[in-house]
Amino acid sequence: MHRKNLALILGFFLFLVSLSAWAYQLKAGLIITHMRNPFSWGLYIATFAFFVGIAAGGLIVSSAVYLFNIAALKPFTRVASLSAFASILAAAIIILPDLGRVDKIYLLLLHPNFRSPLIWDVLVVSSYIVLTFLSVYFQLLPDWKREGRSFLNRWTQRLSPEEVEKISITWSRRIAFVGLPIAILIHTITALIFATQVSRGWWYTTILPADFISVAVASGAALCLLIALSSMGEEGFSRYGPAFAILARIAGCALVVHLFLVATDLVIHWWWANPDELELLSLLFRRYGVLYALEMVLTVFSMVYFLSSRGTTSLRTLLVGSLILLVAVFIHRLNLLFPAFNHFPLSLAVPGAANELWSYPVALGEFRPGEPTFVSSWPYVPSLGEIFVDLLPFALAIIICSWMISSYSILPSIRKGKDRTLSSSSTHSLDF
Amino acid sequence: MKLGMVIDLDRCIGCRTCMVVCKSHNAQPPGTWWNRVFTPGSPEHQVPALQKGEPQMYFLPVACQMCENPPCQKVCPVGATYTDDQGRVEVDLERCIGCRYCLAACPYQVRQFNWEDPKKAKGKAGYVEGYEYGYPFPHRDKNGRLVYIPNRPKGVVEKCTFCVQYTDNGEKPICVQACPARARFFGDLDDPHSEINEILRQRQAFRLKEELGTRPKVFYLPPTSPRK
Repeated sequence: MHRKNLALILGFFLFLVSLSAWAYQLKAGLIITHMRNPFSWGLYIATFAFFVGIAAGGLIVSSAVYLFNIAALKPFTRVASLSAFASILAAAIIILPDLGRVDKIYLLLLHPNFRSPLIWDVLVVSSYIVLTFLSVYFQLLPDWKREGRSFLNRWTQRLSPEEVEKISITWSRRIAFVGLPIAILIHTITALIFATQVSRGWWYTTILPADFISVAVASGAALCLLIALSSMGEEGFSRYGPAFAILARIAGCALVVHLFLVATDLVIHWWWANPDELELLSLLFRRYGVLYALEMVLTVFSMVYFLSSRGTTSLRTLLVGSLILLVAVFIHRLNLLFPAFNHFPLSLAVPGAANELWSYPVALGEFRPGEPTFVSSWPYVPSLGEIFVDLLPFALAIIICSWMISSYSILPSIRKGKDRTLSSSSTHSLDF
Repeated sequence: MKLGMVIDLDRCIGCRTCMVVCKSHNAQPPGTWWNRVFTPGSPEHQVPALQKGEPQMYFLPVACQMCENPPCQKVCPVGATYTDDQGRVEVDLERCIGCRYCLAACPYQVRQFNWEDPKKAKGKAGYVEGYEYGYPFPHRDKNGRLVYIPNRPKGVVEKCTFCVQYTDNGEKPICVQACPARARFFGDLDDPHSEINEILRQRQAFRLKEELGTRPKVFYLPPTSPRK
């Protein structure tokens, strides 16, 4: 209990820090970030893609329980749904500080352009927020009835606890069925925001949606592990060890698919030896080589760790593995942007010149006395203010998760006798 | 009517007059340039690049290419970027929410974002006090959409408008009016007898990044004899 309060306090602290930074940004403008015209999306968008990823993964895990009937994972559907709900809200909220005119966000509803993948994303992300909310809601309904709590559940007043339990099970299953395609869709469409852009060679690939899904499954499973393990501790591990091992194996397998897709993508970028493509690879392996190496090492490490028996033997190894995986995925999201923006689309071939591929300089959008306004590349690193603002979604996710976990029975109960999710009646009706 | 432009690279002397008049007439804040002129292959403008062992150079002005298949317009989630009835791709400054998807989408990188309040940026640049520049009045299209205002709001995107405040009155964009080398031609691509269609029939023209299928309405006449 104490640990959960600590998390809540930390969440509120980070929330206040990020809100103050955002207030400052609203006043000064996005000039406080290090984004500029040639590098116009940065940490905020990378964080958005990161959270969409772990959100989709959360529901993919809980849907897998119903679709593939993996009984061992059943106690984890609540925490998976909660992590999905918290992450998708986090993803949605980090878009707000990225908008130059957040005060005009209602125009998305008044004048949607249905040709824009961004509008598709608004639609699926909103649907997913509603869906994950309902998923958590229906799973908690029987508890609220039993404990006599009232939260949007007046309509259950006349029903008996058994009837509520039945409604909860039926609707949880229905939501899981709708949830799976929508979870896949939020990833596909977030990937399409990037993959539709022919001007950005690094994004323009059909592999991107599939890769987004594999990364989502891996990071979603890792987040479930992280939340469940850090709140249940050693006791929970000894009780649900096999279930944790399954989650870890799901994450490991998803990373195998991810690395396979990345490898084929790199081969295709390299083989033709088109100067534009080679420049992308040079950005990835030379200019951002250290960051990319770090991403690869961490990804391969967590994959091997989770697929070998070593990684799943103890609480500590599982926690370490999950953390490393999530860090690797976050770096992967940053690397979605670096080669994309620093290879300028307006590059011209100048035959016979020393510099055969010449990038047409772009104005920064900021005048800096004594320094060039026109650049051929922009060494983007997030500014301090940007990092503070970027704490917003993390704070929100921490607040939602720790508050919900301390207020409701989200986690599987640790003592055997009190196990509600695996009670005989519900297990029976969940089987099909 | 479909307005278009032809730029003769044989005539362009790289003087950057068009850059400056564009910036000035359209009140662009410091650090923001709708129109650029550079020397392809060279790290510095007006410095020849070695080509096959010989110094050579030509100049390439680039502003909005006014695509017929504009990626910026297609990605805009709120329809702030649109093509008007004269074929000009415009930005509704009151509609833009500042998501900058169009900056990522535009292959010509002509879009500029207001990272800070333009008035503040102008203040910081150190102009003589009281100095203001640019066409002073707001300009709206037929449907009342705000497409030009001297100081754009902080947080919106802007770009070349084909000088909508002038072309709406039948005048030519300021870069065409001010070019001392008469390298720019402007007119109606729908009118078979227009001057630019005459030129496009007579001379071989190319468009930038033709392979992307954006179908720009800005055409270039290639340099036949690069400057040495």
